[in-house]
Amino acid sequence: MEFVQIADVLMPIAVIYAIIAFGRRWSTVRQLPLAKDLSAAKGRSSRGVIYAFTQGMAPWAKESTRRHPITYLRGILFHLGIVVGFAALLGSPWIDRADAALRLAGAVIVTAGAACGIIGGILRLTDSHLRTISTADDHLSVWLVSLFLVSVAVGLLWLRFIPVLQIIGAITLIYAPASKIRHFIFFYFGRLFFGIHIGRRGIVQGLESHHE
Amino acid sequence: MSNNAVTTALESLEKQLNRPLATALEACARCGICADSCHYFVADPDTKHIPAFRGEQLRSVYRRTHDFFGKYFPSWVNARDLDEATLDRLAEIAFSECTLCRRCTFNCPLGVDTPLLMRTIRGAATAAGKAPELLVMLADSAIEKGKDPELFKSLFLQQIADMEKQLQTMVGDPSARITVQREGARVLYVALAGGHTILPPAAIFHAAKEDWTLSLFEAANYGVFLGDPARAKQIAARIIEEAKRLKVQEVVVAECGHACAALVWDAPNWFNETFPFPVRSIVELIAEYIEQGRLQLDPSANPEVITYHDSCNLARTSGIYREPRTVLKAVAQNFREMTPHGLENYCCGGGGGLVALPEYDEKRLRAGKPKADQIRATKAQVVAAACENCRLQLGELNAHYNLNVEITALADLVVKSLKFPKGASQPAV
Repeated sequence: MEFVQIADVLMPIAVIYAIIAFGRRWSTVRQLPLAKDLSAAKGRSSRGVIYAFTQGMAPWAKESTRRHPITYLRGILFHLGIVVGFAALLGSPWIDRADAALRLAGAVIVTAGAACGIIGGILRLTDSHLRTISTADDHLSVWLVSLFLVSVAVGLLWLRFIPVLQIIGAITLIYAPASKIRHFIFFYFGRLFFGIHIGRRGIVQGLESHHE
Repeated sequence: MSNNAVTTALESLEKQLNRPLATALEACARCGICADSCHYFVADPDTKHIPAFRGEQLRSVYRRTHDFFGKYFPSWVNARDLDEATLDRLAEIAFSECTLCRRCTFNCPLGVDTPLLMRTIRGAATAAGKAPELLVMLADSAIEKGKDPELFKSLFLQQIADMEKQLQTMVGDPSARITVQREGARVLYVALAGGHTILPPAAIFHAAKEDWTLSLFEAANYGVFLGDPARAKQIAARIIEEAKRLKVQEVVVAECGHACAALVWDAPNWFNETFPFPVRSIVELIAEYIEQGRLQLDPSANPEVITYHDSCNLARTSGIYREPRTVLKAVAQNFREMTPHGLENYCCGGGGGLVALPEYDEKRLRAGKPKADQIRATKAQVVAAACENCRLQLGELNAHYNLNVEITALADLVVKSLKFPKGASQPAV
C-alpha cells in the first residue's frame, strides 16, 4: 500500500472523527449548567467580551505578555501556523491548483509556526518549571503538532509530499480530541467568561483606558 | 472516616461542575506565563507557586473521571484518584497558597480562572471537613449570632450610644445621631466588628447630610472563604432580610473587599433573586459625595505622602479602582501610586481569609513581600486601603519588613480632611 492510498483512506476518517469528537466535546460543555447571574450589572457584558477577544489579546494588554514578548510572539506564530496548517490539510486534495506564491506564503507561515512549536517543545523539556507542570500528553501534543506543521511546510513546497502531510495530519486530528490539543475549544469559553466578568462588573473600562 | 471525607469531597466536586469550572479545568495549556503574575511566585519562585501548577492538582483528579487518557492511561496525563493525602494537600493549597486575587486570570492568554478552581477545592474540602477550623468556627458563630440577635442587641445599642457621644464631639454637633435599624432610612450601612468602621463613616454621613441607619450585623462573611455558598447565604441573609424589613433604598458595605464582593456579586445568586435595592461599597458612596460637592474637604489636613493599596476584591472582582482615587485626590496633598496599581495591583497576601489563619502566618508574610517592596518604593508615609483584611496584613507587613508607614482606611483620611465647625474636636481616627 502506498502513502497515497493510506492517505486517501485515513484523511476522511480522521476529519469525520475529529468533527464528531470536537462537536461532542463542545456540546458536552454546552450542556453543563450555567447559572444566570442575578447580580446588578455595572456594565455591559458585550463590551467585556469584545475587549477579551480583541484589544485584550494585544501584547500590551497584559502584564504577562508585556514582560514576556518573545513568549507571546512564539505563541501567536505557533497558533497562526496551526490555523494555516489545518486549512492547508483540509484543502490538500486541491492544493496543486493553488497559486505558487500562495503556497510559498503558507509555507513561510507554517515554518515559522513549526519553529515556534519546536522551541516550545524544547523549553518544555529543559525549563524545570515547565517540565514539572507538563504531562506526557503536553509534550507529545506540541511535538506532534510541530511535526504536522513541518509536513505542511514541506508539502506546500513539494507537492509529492502531500500524502505524508495528510497521514501526519490525520494522526494529529485523531489524537487531538482526547489530548491537550482540545484546549482550543475552551479558549473561546475562557475568554468569553473572562469578558463577561470584566464587562458586567465595569472593569473593562479600566483595562481599555490603561493602555490608551 | 477517611473514605467518607474523600467520597464527600468527590461528590462536592461533581456537584460544583458547571460550564465556567469545566472551562477552567480544560483550557489551561500549561504555558507557564501566569507564573510571575502570582505574588507567591514573585516572593518565592518555586514551581509549586505557579498558578498552573496549583490548578493541575485539581485537574489531575478531574481527569481521572472526565478524560479518556485519565481513565485508561492515567499516568499519560498525570491523572490520579483522590485519596485522603491528596485531599489534604489540595485543601492546604487552596486555603494557604492562593488568596483568590484573580491576578493570574487577568494575565492568562486564555483567561483560565484558577481562583475558581481554588474556590471549588475550598468548597469540597469544607464539605469533607478539611477546612481550617478557625474559618469554620467564625462562619458558624456568625450564623448563630444571626439566629438570635436579641442576645447581643442591648450590648450593641449601648456601645452605639457611647459612640454617638463621640460622634457629636467629633463633628461639633449635639444633634448628630447614629441610629440602628431605623425603618425607612435611605441607606443601611453595614459595618465590621469594632467602632473603627462605624465612627468615621458616621462622621462622613453626617457631613453629607445622609439619611442613614446602622445594621445590627457585621458585613464579614467567612462562608465565602470556605467556598461554602450555604453558609455564606445564611450569613448574608441577616443583612438582606434586615434591609428588606427596613425598606431602605440602598445597602452600603464598609471598607471590606470580600464582604462587598459577596453582597454585591454573589448574594443575589445565592438567594436566586435580584434585590429590591442596590448594594455598593462605602468607597463608591464617598466618591459620589465628593463628586456632588456634598463634603467640604481640606487636603492640607493630609500632607504626608500617601499611597493606596487596591484590594483585589474591590478592584479585580468588583471594578472599584477609580473611586478610591477620586477620594484620595480630594483628601490628600501628596498621593503617589504604587507600581503596578489598580487592576494590576499585587495582592497584599492576606486575602482569601488567610489573615485570619495564624497557622499560615509564615507563608502569608512571605507572600506579602512583593507588596512590601512596592510600598517601600513609593517612599510613602501612609498606606491607605479600603479593606479590613488588607489593612491587617499591611500592618503585619509594616512590622515584619520595617516599612515604617502608617496604615489607614480611606474613611479615616476623609474624616481628617473634613472641615468641621469651630468647637468640633478633630477625631483621633
